[in-house]
Amino acid sequence: MKIKQLFKGISLRYASLAATLLVLAACASTSQPPTQALQAAEQAISTAEQARVAEYASLELSEARSKLLAARGEVVKEHMVLAERLAHESRANAELASAKTAAAKAREVNQEMIDSTNSMKEEMHRNTGGHQ
Amino acid sequence: MKFSGYNPSFGSLPPLVVAIAFSLLTGCASDPQKPEGSEDARNKLAQLQADSQLADLAPVAIKDAETAVRAAEAPEKDKALSKHLVYMADRKIETARSIAQTRLAENQRSTLSEQRQTARLDSRTREADDARMDAKDARLEADMARGESEDLQQQINELNAKETERGLVVTLGDLLFDTGKSELKGGAPDHLGKLAVFLNKQQDRSIIIEGHTDNVGSESSNMSLSQRRANSVKSYLVSEGVNARRLVASGIGEGSPVASNDTVAGRQQNRRVEVIIENTVASSN
Repeated sequence: MKIKQLFKGISLRYASLAATLLVLAACASTSQPPTQALQAAEQAISTAEQARVAEYASLELSEARSKLLAARGEVVKEHMVLAERLAHESRANAELASAKTAAAKAREVNQEMIDSTNSMKEEMHRNTGGHQ
Repeated sequence: MKFSGYNPSFGSLPPLVVAIAFSLLTGCASDPQKPEGSEDARNKLAQLQADSQLADLAPVAIKDAETAVRAAEAPEKDKALSKHLVYMADRKIETARSIAQTRLAENQRSTLSEQRQTARLDSRTREADDARMDAKDARLEADMARGESEDLQQQINELNAKETERGLVVTLGDLLFDTGKSELKGGAPDHLGKLAVFLNKQQDRSIIIEGHTDNVGSESSNMSLSQRRANSVKSYLVSEGVNARRLVASGIGEGSPVASNDTVAGRQQNRRVEVIIENTVASSN
């Protein structure tokens, strides 16, 4: 009886210690900056800039830039979790900017085709009417 | 052994351990309600997934969005994290939509290209048809012009008109007038009628009517007679519909004979009215 109680006591102690450490590890922020997330955001912004998204998705691009800036600011303050989230949000905006621009350009190409088809049809009907 | 200081609540387990165990079981935090904004995200995604045109065009992106929405929907006590997850879900949904729209446009492009090609082909066919029609018209016009010029030649021949450097000259003979008179005789219309018709076809070319006489009688009386005869011819032509503005009547008198006044025949030839159809167009005033 006494030994059981002894073991119970020790294992409980260890269990609580271990549990506490686990909880702390899971919930606490690390002191490492989210380098990967920041780089990914930078890359996505750079890609977007090359596609000239400023014309079609300027809002999303500027959001991406300002969030990256904010992320870096949070790194300095050592709010690493916040910094990582901002970096993720920055990247998401940059990717959205690229996708939106591609869609807008694709629509423009189609519209040009429609316009040129229509103007050819118009001209044809005009010429038919005017033939002497 | 007794552990002093611990108050047994759940059996023999100390409350601190219970709390830790509980939080381990349910994660760092726990909130049974759905996080704010996650429902909107879910609805947005559902809308995209229901769009028959777009839903199948971006499967990977939509799957990413689905994952993000689920993460956003999971109960979360950390408000900042929850807000972040909702935000990410929204961005992913929008991205998926844009990707699908791009692919849709690309799919439609081949149809549009065909339509443009058809229109181009039709317009080329039409151009060719028009060109054929134009050529046909041109041939028709040429034929008509040829016909006209033949008629014209015939008329010129009938009128005894001559081409000179002043223009086409129709010479009206002595028989139009009685001696010393300037009124047109009865038979004049036959000859002048044809001339009127001919002049009306000449399209605004100016016409000079010149009266001439032989040398019998005084110069001044011949001058006056020739003027009056020219006027008579002019009046007649106007009455036949020739525009008066085109016509100028003048008397030359005996000053410009075409034959010798020493013979009867010559004098007869000199007694004439010349109608000159100039080569230039009359001015409008």
